[in-house]
Amino acid sequence: MNIAAELLVVSFKVIWSFVLAGAKWLVKPREKRVAGQVCVVTGAGSGLGRLFATEFARRRATLVLWDINREANEETAELVRDIYRETEPRRGSGDGVEDVPFYQPRVYTYVCDVSKRESVYSTAEKVRQEVGNVTFLINNAGVVSGHHLLECPDELIERTMMVNCHAHFWTTKAFLPKMLDLNHGHIVTVASSLGLFTTAGVEDYCASKFGAIGFHESLSHELKAANKDGIKMTLVCPFLVDTGMFQGCKIRKEIAPFFPPLKPEYCVEQAMRAILTNQPMVCTPRAMYVVNFMKTILPFDAIVCMYRFLGADKCMYPFLAHRKESTNNNESKI
Amino acid sequence: MMDLKLWGCALLFPLQIFLCVLRAAVRFLLPPRRKDLGTDVVLVTGGGRGIGRHLAKEFAKQGAKKVILWGRTEKCLKETCEEISAAGTECHYFVCDVGNREEVYQQAKVVREKVGDVTILVNNAAVVHGKSLMNSDDDALLKTQHVNTLGQFWTTKAFLPRMLELCHGHVVCINSILSLSSIPGAIDYCTSKASAYAFMESLTLGLLDCPGVDCTTILPFHTDTEMFQGMRVRFPQLFPPLNPEMVAQRTVDAVRTNTAFVVLPWTMHFIVALKSLLPQSALEEIHKFAGSYTCMNTFKGRT
Repeated sequence: MNIAAELLVVSFKVIWSFVLAGAKWLVKPREKRVAGQVCVVTGAGSGLGRLFATEFARRRATLVLWDINREANEETAELVRDIYRETEPRRGSGDGVEDVPFYQPRVYTYVCDVSKRESVYSTAEKVRQEVGNVTFLINNAGVVSGHHLLECPDELIERTMMVNCHAHFWTTKAFLPKMLDLNHGHIVTVASSLGLFTTAGVEDYCASKFGAIGFHESLSHELKAANKDGIKMTLVCPFLVDTGMFQGCKIRKEIAPFFPPLKPEYCVEQAMRAILTNQPMVCTPRAMYVVNFMKTILPFDAIVCMYRFLGADKCMYPFLAHRKESTNNNESKI
Repeated sequence: MMDLKLWGCALLFPLQIFLCVLRAAVRFLLPPRRKDLGTDVVLVTGGGRGIGRHLAKEFAKQGAKKVILWGRTEKCLKETCEEISAAGTECHYFVCDVGNREEVYQQAKVVREKVGDVTILVNNAAVVHGKSLMNSDDDALLKTQHVNTLGQFWTTKAFLPRMLELCHGHVVCINSILSLSSIPGAIDYCTSKASAYAFMESLTLGLLDCPGVDCTTILPFHTDTEMFQGMRVRFPQLFPPLNPEMVAQRTVDAVRTNTAFVVLPWTMHFIVALKSLLPQSALEEIHKFAGSYTCMNTFKGRT
């Protein structure tokens, strides 16, 4: 096919994708069913991971919970079991058609340090044998060092990179082959707004989140190039979430009422809607799409201006000070 | 009172943005002031070949006091060092793998003792494995992360404190457009460059308060060196590979004018802007048409 004809086809496809996107915006597509499918959540012991687990549980998926903390992981498992009990469809109701086939989901817990490649591979093998084929992989586990670059111990920098970014290599390599065979699956990367733009003081965290997003996008293109359209990918970029991970972080106080720290439940609700409608990317709040776009067209001086206006350029300094203080307090208690 | 202040800032904000854009336009049209490199000691990682070699030569040509080369292959380092010394600039080389943290700190100490304080750090060293995720060797994936991303953490930690003490310094990062717009077939590289970009942007924001210490990040398109040998762009007439000498010249220019981010060629800005405007499926069609889905199929790399 000559170039001109190809260009015409591509232009048509681009316009058509805008039409489809507009249509999806007007009429929300139906959420896909996940009952009976296996969902792996890393970092399920707390924060967003726990909420993702409960949301999938509500929709009667089989949960596989990974966390480095056994106790927290078991607590999440208990919550999931409670939800399974609550949402059990009543059998023999007689009237109406039972549209969901009766399926008894289970929750499986594994202690796994996702920063260790061997740990990921051996746990994934156990999951394959004990649970079955994984459909959903929620790469959620995340840490932050909480120190300025020059004061940060090197091991903590490495740890942030290994958990937030490198872990995605291993978990994806563990579960993707089967997804490729079946041409069916969904990989979710829980990144952060700090994967789209950065702020001073948390170089390690920003680097790891940008890396996770770079990985996600590159993989997304790889799957498209290989025509594996049955495997979906969703990128979740929440703004500051009120889970305690970034306690102390403050943007400009006059702007703060417009961009309060997000309620984790709201954040996960938006993310679930995106995942279940196969949306490639979701930012909460929506204003972040604007910030993201502005960043690509404005000169750097103007971007700094924008950050300073929002108080976003140094919003992590109080968080870092807070962390330092609590570490010192802990040390003085010993 | 607080409300008035907020309204005042809110009204001033669009004006400030407009002034910044205007200032950028003026800088583009009028040649800005270039700082003198006569007192600067420049260290280039990966300085033995490729863009690094051209960078070292360009810094020497534009008047740097001393040039230090770091790399893994002694032969290349020695050759480049001799070339620069012959042209009249004091040049030293040390074998150092920036992916190895202890080696970086050790060699940094040696540099401080034998040569002096480094005032311009050029983080250029990079490797690429260049395969799809499932075909990538795990150790190679990690190696790329260690050299391209973590290496920059270590070198910056080694040299930045002294720059801050002297209130004189510059941290330069040779990044890539692939950090902002990924392609299939180079997942290790895209991930590592995206991380390195974030590191530099965060550092740049943090150093805005430190007068005398600046940052520059260069994001070139495909450059004609050994590193990406074999990679073939679909429309080379529209998007020809960049000349490494030109990339080096533009880098030294950016350092002398304290420019924070430079995208080469400037037309790549459109690709990045499109990314945040287009729906994913549209972006994929454009990538496919532009040939980025197949450009790494013929990749050979450094032989």
